[in-house]
Amino acid sequence: MSQSHENVEHAPHDPAHGHDDHHGGDDHGGNGKYWVVFVLLCLLTTCSFLTYFEWWEEAIPVSVSRAFMMAVSCGKALLVMLFFMHLIWEANWKWVLTVPAGMMSIFLMCMLIPDIGLRTNHYTNQRWLHAPQPVIEHVDSDHGPSGDH
Amino acid sequence: MSDHHDDQHGHDDQHGHIKLEYHPGLPLSLGKLCLWLFLSTEIMFFAGLIGAYVVLRFGAPAGTWPTPHDVHLSEPIGAFNTFVLICSSLSVVLCLEAAKKNQAAAAKTWMLITFVLGSVFLGVKGYEYKEKFAHGIYPAKPHGLMYDRADVYYVSALKLRLEAVNREMTDEQKAQEAIEGFTREQWVNLMHSGAVQWTARHVTIDPSTLEARDLLEGLAYSVQHGHSSDYPVARAQAERERLSADLAGLKEEAGGIQQNEAQMRERLEQAQAANAEAEPEGDAPTAEEIQSELAALTMQSTEMQQRIKPVQDRVAFLDVLLRDDAHLMQHGIEHEMPWLRLPFVLPGGNMWASTYFLLTGFHAIHVIIGLIIFALVLPVTLGRNKAEYIENAGLYWHFVDLVWIFLFPILYLF
Repeated sequence: MSQSHENVEHAPHDPAHGHDDHHGGDDHGGNGKYWVVFVLLCLLTTCSFLTYFEWWEEAIPVSVSRAFMMAVSCGKALLVMLFFMHLIWEANWKWVLTVPAGMMSIFLMCMLIPDIGLRTNHYTNQRWLHAPQPVIEHVDSDHGPSGDH
Repeated sequence: MSDHHDDQHGHDDQHGHIKLEYHPGLPLSLGKLCLWLFLSTEIMFFAGLIGAYVVLRFGAPAGTWPTPHDVHLSEPIGAFNTFVLICSSLSVVLCLEAAKKNQAAAAKTWMLITFVLGSVFLGVKGYEYKEKFAHGIYPAKPHGLMYDRADVYYVSALKLRLEAVNREMTDEQKAQEAIEGFTREQWVNLMHSGAVQWTARHVTIDPSTLEARDLLEGLAYSVQHGHSSDYPVARAQAERERLSADLAGLKEEAGGIQQNEAQMRERLEQAQAANAEAEPEGDAPTAEEIQSELAALTMQSTEMQQRIKPVQDRVAFLDVLLRDDAHLMQHGIEHEMPWLRLPFVLPGGNMWASTYFLLTGFHAIHVIIGLIIFALVLPVTLGRNKAEYIENAGLYWHFVDLVWIFLFPILYLF
């Protein structure tokens, strides 16, 4: 519906100029916004890099830290898609191409969970013999070798 | 195709025919439509790869997935590469804006900057790969040196490697100092007998015992370890004390046998001399009897030497490991003597390497393709007529940036 409405509204259409014809030509308001987005992306990268430092590891639980990093990544991805990839100025076709692909990506990841994510639930004793052996950290060394076992 | 009727221009006044106007199904050019369709398949492609990494990573039992430090990943380098890609995303979008305004010179400058930044990204990635390869981290055998657990297969790999080193060393290399008091050849031989063969001999009897597990873990720890622990050092010290006491006992026993042997030789000489002069006394053992006893003693002495040699080598090996506050053991033989290129134990290391090289490799291929796309238009004038090309190339490049935005925290920071 909205598609045909746009076609009528903005006809005649020159396909070579993509989305720009629908929104008043080539100008999205100057280059300033791109620099702002760039600064925001740098700030967000710095935010996720903070998790690298020891003081962060000591202060923030790992699960919170990981959720924070993914949130930052999603924020960065949104900024790139909306402004650098111009999706914010595009017509509704953007949903047709991005939403199904995004949903299928999520389904794909979910479908990997039972067989790959939970693979060790179905390991036999024989299979465990060849599985990676976790590194056991001996915290109390004063007890010596016999003390730990 | 759409058949909208334009009231002003739709009729040919002379012939009364209706003029049909072309309208695309979607309000975007075919090139851009194709690119977006391609990108939607790419989203699923990378979602599959990243998803596989994530479920493998979080499905691995605790302690069986390497940390970035274990696999020599540098977080600052990863952050730098992220910054480089963000800069390149900005430059390509500025290139597009300049081209739309028909500012060809500015567009070319931004395009060149994008190209250089993409090349820098690849250069840094190449450096990172080189570091991995230098530490024996490869996506697959036969170059990979990682083992998932310290077991008999690992000991066998160590043995083969040491034998190969011994075989491949030149005379000059053999004479080079490996560690204080040992040439390379001496060290390789000592490690072969005092560490590898000793462990192999003990664990093949029953690899499931605690002692065997301790030996295997101690050997793997001595070669290379991600996290320092005092336990293997304490265990090695206890073993050295125990073996030193055993060695002293064995040497005493061997000394007694050698003494008996010497006495027996003396008696043999006397008996042979008596035989030559006169008939031996009735009770005195004959020369043949003494010879037979001497042969038994010599056999005992040889057996004793065979028992002493491995213990002696083991004690010597532990001495080297534990000297200077266990410097060699705490730093790792592989770290102190990288020329050995010994196999090492890193739980989950092979799985990590497979996924890491797959993810970053495919990403790097996309970067290379992006650079080729940029390089194709670098020699031409980037005016308004090239705006659509730049827009499509830019979309592709932003997608490459998007993938890295997720790869950076997942690979370097998780």
